[in-house]
Amino acid sequence: MSMNRDFDYSLLAKLTQAFGPSGNEQQVAEIITDNVKDYVESIVTDTMGNLIVRKKGNEQKIMIVCHMDEVGIIVTHINKNGFLYYATVGGLKNTDMISKRVIFSNGTVGIIHKEKDETIDKKPEKLYIDIGAANEQEAKELVRVGDMAVISGDFLENDSVIISKALDDRIGCFIALEVIRTVTSPYDLYFVFSAQEEVGARGAKTAAYAIEADLAIIIDTTFSYDTPKVQNNRVSLNNGVAIKVMDKSIVVSPAIKNWMAKIAAASDIPHQWEIITAGGTDSGPIHLTKGGIPTGGLAIPVRYLHSGNEIVGKKDITAGIDLLTALITTHLYFES
Amino acid sequence: MTKPHLQLAQETIHLLAGKPGVSGYEYKLFPSLEQTFKPLVDDIYTDNMHNCYAVKNGYASNNQTVMLAAHSDEIGLMVTHIDSKGFIHFSPIGGIDDRTLLYQEVTVHGSRDLPGIISFQPDQTKSDKKKSVKLHQMAIDIGHSSEEAQSLVKPGDIVSINRATLDLLDQTIAGKSLDNRAGITVMAVCLSELNSIKHKHNVIAVTTVQEEVGLRGAQTSTEKLNPTIAVAIDVTHAQTIDAKNQVSIHLGKGPAITIGPNIHPTMHALLTACAQDNNLPYQVQAVAGPTGTDARIIQLSSFGIPTGLLSIPLRYMHTSVETVSLKDVVSCGKLLARFIAALPDDLEDISCS
Repeated sequence: MSMNRDFDYSLLAKLTQAFGPSGNEQQVAEIITDNVKDYVESIVTDTMGNLIVRKKGNEQKIMIVCHMDEVGIIVTHINKNGFLYYATVGGLKNTDMISKRVIFSNGTVGIIHKEKDETIDKKPEKLYIDIGAANEQEAKELVRVGDMAVISGDFLENDSVIISKALDDRIGCFIALEVIRTVTSPYDLYFVFSAQEEVGARGAKTAAYAIEADLAIIIDTTFSYDTPKVQNNRVSLNNGVAIKVMDKSIVVSPAIKNWMAKIAAASDIPHQWEIITAGGTDSGPIHLTKGGIPTGGLAIPVRYLHSGNEIVGKKDITAGIDLLTALITTHLYFES
Repeated sequence: MTKPHLQLAQETIHLLAGKPGVSGYEYKLFPSLEQTFKPLVDDIYTDNMHNCYAVKNGYASNNQTVMLAAHSDEIGLMVTHIDSKGFIHFSPIGGIDDRTLLYQEVTVHGSRDLPGIISFQPDQTKSDKKKSVKLHQMAIDIGHSSEEAQSLVKPGDIVSINRATLDLLDQTIAGKSLDNRAGITVMAVCLSELNSIKHKHNVIAVTTVQEEVGLRGAQTSTEKLNPTIAVAIDVTHAQTIDAKNQVSIHLGKGPAITIGPNIHPTMHALLTACAQDNNLPYQVQAVAGPTGTDARIIQLSSFGIPTGLLSIPLRYMHTSVETVSLKDVVSCGKLLARFIAALPDDLEDISCS
């Protein structure tokens, strides 16, 4: 039975607090590079900004994918009073944005707000960002049109959970880092820290084309269905790593999901099933690459995805690390 | 001894429509596909997405590849969780209309196949009879307690809708998944016809997977084959009582040959000319945007593939009583075979004309 093990969560703190909206993943890539360079054969950054880390082996090629980017906003206009207007980068609901703090790469902090009597619909035009600038000129000294910001959210932890911004999908990066540093595998491992997942799984698409793996495994996050009103036994926090069955971008081959569950059961790793009908992942474009790449996925349950206050369970992180390790050190799904 | 086309079509459609093949789980259909295609072709194989390829070689030595594509999957349901009373809750796979689900008979593909019904307990105290029931209000009853249900069924298991295939009057047939088992049947008729007429080019008839969830099997199979030209075969809405003038296609008046930006103009021209030359019935369907069929993704594959689309008129799309005319299926298969036999020596001529 896998327990709560102690990991170096200060590394996760660093990863989550790094600035990395889609297309601007460099800070995250640097942290990853620093932490894997002594354990791997090669580290390459490709044109899309994917960081591809290879741990060589003689057997089949396995591509392990987690994305570095997080949702954010991009400044579209600065008005003469020094307020900023924006568009979203990735899936953010306007109604959830009121009173959110955002932070730019230069450390400038802003508050998203609306006029008191304004009702918010699907268009973000009625929301503005207040960075405390007195006028247009003062604002433009700190922020330019085209600059991106992310929702801020400090890293907090207790014995059972972690709360932070950007756990989607720095938790995947953290799991991959742990595995890179500890695993001995016969397989040729390509860890892809992908760019631009939140805007349409773009980095993973080109990486999959370049690597042409025999098997791809995605590590991402999924909805936890254990909020007060939704008490069903679907996916809940600290109940194990979720094995992907279906999302909007993939129906996982039954052979692959059953293989994953079998390995999990054999090693007593707690697991649940991810079945969602909204939201795609890197697994979508990857499994449709060339003649089709066999693809499966692991997902860490998260409450309040994309909110800046994402919560994950430590037992699920442990299970994720254990299951990924088990999957890439035993026989593959087609060999059983 | 070749079977008459009508008999082949009827047997094939009954065989295929009777089997479950929900998107992503089409492997369950493979034995029936093999049984259908093996006697008609030179080779048959599948890939890791479970696309199935039936290959019929042409006689020319410098032959090129004509790809035919008809999707094998059908819409269905997936188990999401089992509640404390033993009811099985589910999500849709593909474009399910909630209104078509109520009180249907289903098969839950658990550790074994289990019969079930889609249940809903109307609230007797409220008079909300005029509101349609939503998917999340329904659950599947397999007649078990929670504990028994949990031991046989797990989240992620597939559920397929059951419905016997009915022969109606005048060679009309009704049942589940005629979208697109009718299209696969067209390919069988075509390949059977090609056994008695000479054709230069190699024909690879692909039963594509996961069309209903995003044209996925067509994407990878086209990439794999890189054909010179392709024809997709699917179904299209035929006029029903409430269709008024929005739908111009009629059941029983021949396959619809699509025209529009998704279709290569020469492919459309060759298909219509072929129908006229052979006195085969057809209708023309104009589609201004992308067609919601495999033709969409095939056209955009590689450097761009000249693609045609033939559609079988069908009533009551995405219900378990989809209705087609076998006459349309047979004439479509014949048209496709004649079209293939009449193709020019060099198929590159099509993309350049």
